[in-house]
Amino acid sequence: MFSPQPMKHVLLQVLTGDLPQVSLILAELELFSPDHRPLYEEHFPLVPGERFRDLYTQASSRLHKISRHIPLNPQVHLGGIHVISEQELEQTNLWLGEVWERCSAYEESLRRFADEKQMISQLEQALENFGELNIDLGLLQGERLFLDIHIGMVPRANVTQLKEAVTLADYLLFDYMEHEGNVHVIVVGPKGEHEKELRSVLDTAGFRALPIPPELQHEPERVRADLARRKLELERQLQNENDAIHSCASENRERLEQSRNTLIMAEPFVRIDTAARSAGHLSIISGWIPAREIRRIRQALEETLTNPFRLDTRNPTPDERPLVPSYVPDNRLMTPFATLVRQYGIPRYGEVDPTAIFAVTFILMFGMMFGDMGHGATIALIAWLARRKLRSFTLFAVSIGISATLFGLLYGSIFGYEDLIDAFWIAPLSDPIYMLSVALKWGIAFLLLISLISIYNRIIQGDLGRALFDSNGLISTLLYMSLLYLVYDYYADGGFSLVAAASTLLSLLVLLTYKAIQTKASPGERMLVAFIETFETLTGYISNTLSFLRVAAFSLNHVALAIAVFALADMMVTVQAHILMVICGNLFILVLEGAIVTIQALRLEYYEGFSRFYSGDGLEFRPLRLNTGGKV
Amino acid sequence: MTSPTSHTYLKTRAAVMAKRLFSPERLERMLQSPLETLGREFELNGIFEHTVSQAALNRAAEKALIHTLMEELGVLLRPLDGTARDILIHWTRKFELYNLKALIRGKLQNLPFDQIRPYLYELPSFISLPHDRLLRTESILELLRSLEQGPFADIAQQARRVYEEKNEPFSLDAAIDRSYYTGMFRRIRRVETGDHAPLQRLVGTLIDQQNLIWLLRYRFSYQLSPSETYYLLIPFGRRLHRERLMTLVNLDQFEQVIERLPGGLREYLAGVDELLGAERQLEAMTVVQARNCLRFSQSAVTRSLAYLVLREMDLKKLYALVQGKVLNLSDPLIRIAAGMEQHEREEVYDTQGKHV
Repeated sequence: MFSPQPMKHVLLQVLTGDLPQVSLILAELELFSPDHRPLYEEHFPLVPGERFRDLYTQASSRLHKISRHIPLNPQVHLGGIHVISEQELEQTNLWLGEVWERCSAYEESLRRFADEKQMISQLEQALENFGELNIDLGLLQGERLFLDIHIGMVPRANVTQLKEAVTLADYLLFDYMEHEGNVHVIVVGPKGEHEKELRSVLDTAGFRALPIPPELQHEPERVRADLARRKLELERQLQNENDAIHSCASENRERLEQSRNTLIMAEPFVRIDTAARSAGHLSIISGWIPAREIRRIRQALEETLTNPFRLDTRNPTPDERPLVPSYVPDNRLMTPFATLVRQYGIPRYGEVDPTAIFAVTFILMFGMMFGDMGHGATIALIAWLARRKLRSFTLFAVSIGISATLFGLLYGSIFGYEDLIDAFWIAPLSDPIYMLSVALKWGIAFLLLISLISIYNRIIQGDLGRALFDSNGLISTLLYMSLLYLVYDYYADGGFSLVAAASTLLSLLVLLTYKAIQTKASPGERMLVAFIETFETLTGYISNTLSFLRVAAFSLNHVALAIAVFALADMMVTVQAHILMVICGNLFILVLEGAIVTIQALRLEYYEGFSRFYSGDGLEFRPLRLNTGGKV
Repeated sequence: MTSPTSHTYLKTRAAVMAKRLFSPERLERMLQSPLETLGREFELNGIFEHTVSQAALNRAAEKALIHTLMEELGVLLRPLDGTARDILIHWTRKFELYNLKALIRGKLQNLPFDQIRPYLYELPSFISLPHDRLLRTESILELLRSLEQGPFADIAQQARRVYEEKNEPFSLDAAIDRSYYTGMFRRIRRVETGDHAPLQRLVGTLIDQQNLIWLLRYRFSYQLSPSETYYLLIPFGRRLHRERLMTLVNLDQFEQVIERLPGGLREYLAGVDELLGAERQLEAMTVVQARNCLRFSQSAVTRSLAYLVLREMDLKKLYALVQGKVLNLSDPLIRIAAGMEQHEREEVYDTQGKHV
């Protein structure tokens, strides 16, 4: 519960032909995380399954592209799980290739239809434009004896350069209209040697000819009707294409879903990748398994494999610890708290998992800062009513609601009313100094606990030097405790204890010496850095302790806000207005202060707590599994 | 640029990094050094140890050098924001455009994805195309459809014309490069006044170099017509602006083009009668101009860009050295491939204080 599960490094020796089956067994158990280091490269030089991976990648890519046009059922029903052979994968890939070819042709048709549609729209605009001109269009049409004339459109960005380029071929370019990023142009020049040259320039510039119908001048309506007919024809063809893809979808959807299943079952062998190595008929798979699950894995392999295999396990070496994935089994009660801890990072293997500590301290701090029976019960009730939306976070919200309710009982506060019931412990505003001293003691206890965890974590990681001498190490903690004792003595007796003073000075000197030894720099710079870092450790403890005063400050703030709400309510003339004011004020407190207190409690956890002992740079345990999330 | 502090920091950074640029003596030392020493010095040893074939080794070395350049870009980008930052990022897009050209050409030739992939540079995510998705396209038309959805829509349309009309792909290359330089100029127009003119001068010089090489190649190697050649050029260079380019494309002989170049350029190319020689001389000219910018420009972003331009040229020389040594070429050949004679010319021009 307080740290990731112990892990074992496993080396599984199997026959090469059994690799896909072993991968599938491991994926079904969801307990094996592959180790991709080339540990046994010398004796097992080959990485098997290269073609299998290529086929899988291509088939997955095809299925993904196809699913843009043929949506598949998001619910995956794997049915009978079986080993996917290379031959089966190849057939699936080939078939997916055929379906993708149809989809790709459909995509290309859609593109061409869009292109054609744009062309018709450009033509309509051009004809409208020509229709208003008082010129003989006959002059622009057909072959001319001396003139080479081109009417068409060019992308806007190319016009200036094209205009200059055609002058070099003795042509002139006139632009007469712009529509949807295209400029309509007429290019005119003498017939002769430059005709071919011009065509080449026009091609390069993306020129597209616009055919001007000869009837435009005399029968414009007929031309318009013709264009409308072309548009309709286009729509009809588009509809045909859509019908074809729909029929392709209904014809192939079932087999596509089967192909998806094939790929899901093929994926584990692909994901094992370089964690499997082979030398001829013998192969190995290396990875990490939770120590307590070894027997289960061995049993599953014995039940399924017909050929012999060998499973060797060992503990992680000290050098390997940073590479060992942290496996923290799912705990339904802890899920929302674990999610918030993961926002900060993953615990390193062996490190204390702060989820349980976080859950307890967060709930307590929230309750202490937001102690009110009415508000707490409201939060818990709303969370329960919205449980479908909040899902795993329901428990989180209910817990902080109950905590606020219980503290409300201790403070004697209901919806800000401080005089309806007697406080079981204390009404915060009745003795603010006492509340602040409680918060301070809470902070000291919290920081000491965190420092002890930090020392433990470093010892576990084999870093005894840092466990003893670094910030948040044993000597720093001693310094903190000596300082606390000094201050306590001063307040209690008005003097300083000799033991505490000597202990403070000694721990300061040890810290200073350690920092000076650790710093790699010139002597002057070394001393400066050591002095600053030691000073920072000292001030860090002081400021972090004072940070916890906010726990009391918010409990006082809660009462103060309630007083403000009641003061405003009392200023109202009518009873109804008074009630409305109390309700709105309470809502305001609930939303605004509730959010602020959550953020402040999180801040205390992350900044004063986690940053001291929790590196958060561990590797998450991501076991091989059958990806039934429907994604391929 | 955020503040005068960032400005000063960037200038200092560029000055410190300028010390990494190769002097002729250093290049000579590198030529005499064994491959392993070069590997150690430029952190390429892992590549030499693990790569088997010569072709794979070349590609791996090239990728490693590009990686070095991208890391240095990262350092220069840190104090920058806004358009100035955008300009340096856009400069590096040229590598992404090399990738785009390789992808389109590969697909035009129906090459399978595993044959195209080795030719693609690995670039930082902020400029990288989704290679895997594009490589997985199964035909040129599918690739073009994918590209039409994104910022390369105009290039995809040009590529479609090349594919459908079976044109030569150089018009596509030209379209890609023109779109790149147009993007660069659009960004320069938006920078602060102090950076505007120096940046325009530096980028204008790069465009002049590019334009002149294309002009000579299209007109005299590919025998394209003046109008078509002109259309493929970028009409906003520093010395070779519109009118000048229109005059030059109309000339029928290589020597005539050199004769009609503006002053500084003509001097650089005097006596050159073939394309390779012109390319070398123009590169030497660009180096001198970029070095001037790096040393004297008041604009920190111009200095940074000049550094990147020079560093890229140096890394290309280093790559040629490595490649020459891998292939066991003779020293004189490697010297030519790495442009070391040209480097000596750059030094001569530089010490003479010749400004283009």
